[in-house]
Amino acid sequence: MRGNWFFPNLWRFLSLLAVQGLVLSDISYNTDGYVSILLYPLFILLLPIQMSVPLVVLAGFFAGITVDAFTGTFGLHASAGAFSGYARALLLERFAPQGGYTGKEPIASPVYFGWQWFLSVAAIFFALHLLWYFSVAYFTPVYFFSKILPQMLLSWISTLPVVVVWVRLFYPRN
Amino acid sequence: MYSLFRLFVRHGGLLTLLLTQLASFYLMTSQNSPQQEIARLSWSWYANRMLEWRNRWLDYLSLRDENIRLKMENARLHTQLANLRAADLLWRDTLLRPSGPDSAAGKKLLRPEYVLLSARAIGNTFSGRYNWLILNRGAKDGVRPNSGVISRSGVVGVVRSVSEHFALAMSVLHPQTKISAVVKGYPYYGSLYWDENDPRYLALSDIPYHLPVRRGDTVQVSNYSLLFPEGHPIGIVDTAHRLQGSSFLHIRVLPTQSPANVREVYIVINRYADELERLSESIQEER
Repeated sequence: MRGNWFFPNLWRFLSLLAVQGLVLSDISYNTDGYVSILLYPLFILLLPIQMSVPLVVLAGFFAGITVDAFTGTFGLHASAGAFSGYARALLLERFAPQGGYTGKEPIASPVYFGWQWFLSVAAIFFALHLLWYFSVAYFTPVYFFSKILPQMLLSWISTLPVVVVWVRLFYPRN
Repeated sequence: MYSLFRLFVRHGGLLTLLLTQLASFYLMTSQNSPQQEIARLSWSWYANRMLEWRNRWLDYLSLRDENIRLKMENARLHTQLANLRAADLLWRDTLLRPSGPDSAAGKKLLRPEYVLLSARAIGNTFSGRYNWLILNRGAKDGVRPNSGVISRSGVVGVVRSVSEHFALAMSVLHPQTKISAVVKGYPYYGSLYWDENDPRYLALSDIPYHLPVRRGDTVQVSNYSLLFPEGHPIGIVDTAHRLQGSSFLHIRVLPTQSPANVREVYIVINRYADELERLSESIQEER
């Protein structure tokens, strides 16, 4: 891990948070919460690959809690963020290139791994995040087929294009 | 401490996840009303389920005690039933004084005849010519020789000898077991015995041939039996036919209590057995 990893991630965190809290949350309100575009998990996905798993989980937790502060849903995004932090570690392990990760690829960005790789990882990552998010939002398996699954699918379909647009715009390198 | 550290390094991600999830769930259930409500309801639901399981488990654990209590109660109820069948009221001055079985005077006149003792057959033979049962009650429990043994559904045998804790009873499948029995509804009594042929059937003799006994009629203990409570079921008539040159019927009886499958029984102790024996001994020489 090179020394200059902290500030890029901080800017990413702040910008994603601003977009999430100020713009995307409104969409969620306008659709009565039925479609939620959750962009901020991208911050968790783009944390340094070499970062240790407990730190990523904690980072996800704090990112989530900050989003919670915007939306007034205490603990909801925090739980989903921490979960995604852990899920990211498993995903990256599963999608590791032959010979493993080296210091040459600091973050899981299409710059280093190509769009196909990035899209598959991001698709699964956001699906898991949204599934967890709606599960804790409803807090009961009773609504799994009637609410949790449909909302998660709709939100997933709406979130991924925004993710692609954001990554295409900024093309993050570190 | 070092191993704890190593544990954290190896599973640190999972541990951090668990801790952060605990914190989030705490926040959710303390700050957000929908989750709070659901958590409260689920918690009470699970608590109720646990309580229910616990009760069911405790019920199961106490089944043995409950079983013993029920057996004792059954013995008590059967005793009452047997005594009621043989209710022996000396009606006296019924016009002047109320003396039904419930009145104080009536209770004095009512003589309970039987005491029933619950027991279990711990040994049983049914394939030989002389068949025996071993019961787990003995002299210490008040069992005396020449006590009848019945089950809920029929007659089982007669106690022959008694040790301190056990009793040996001859089964109905024993050539010496003879029970005074009637076909229900007819005022003639006969002798029930085993003809040593088929262990599935008993035989009832000395029933006059003019009685229209039919298959399916009930055979029960007669009021002359000293060993068994009057009216206790024995079996049902399987076949009944007149023997050649005889004025009696030969009735084949299917016992309601299968002699091969005896477990929970009651030993019928006749409180007047000694007295009755002395009485019959007093006329022994004249027989």
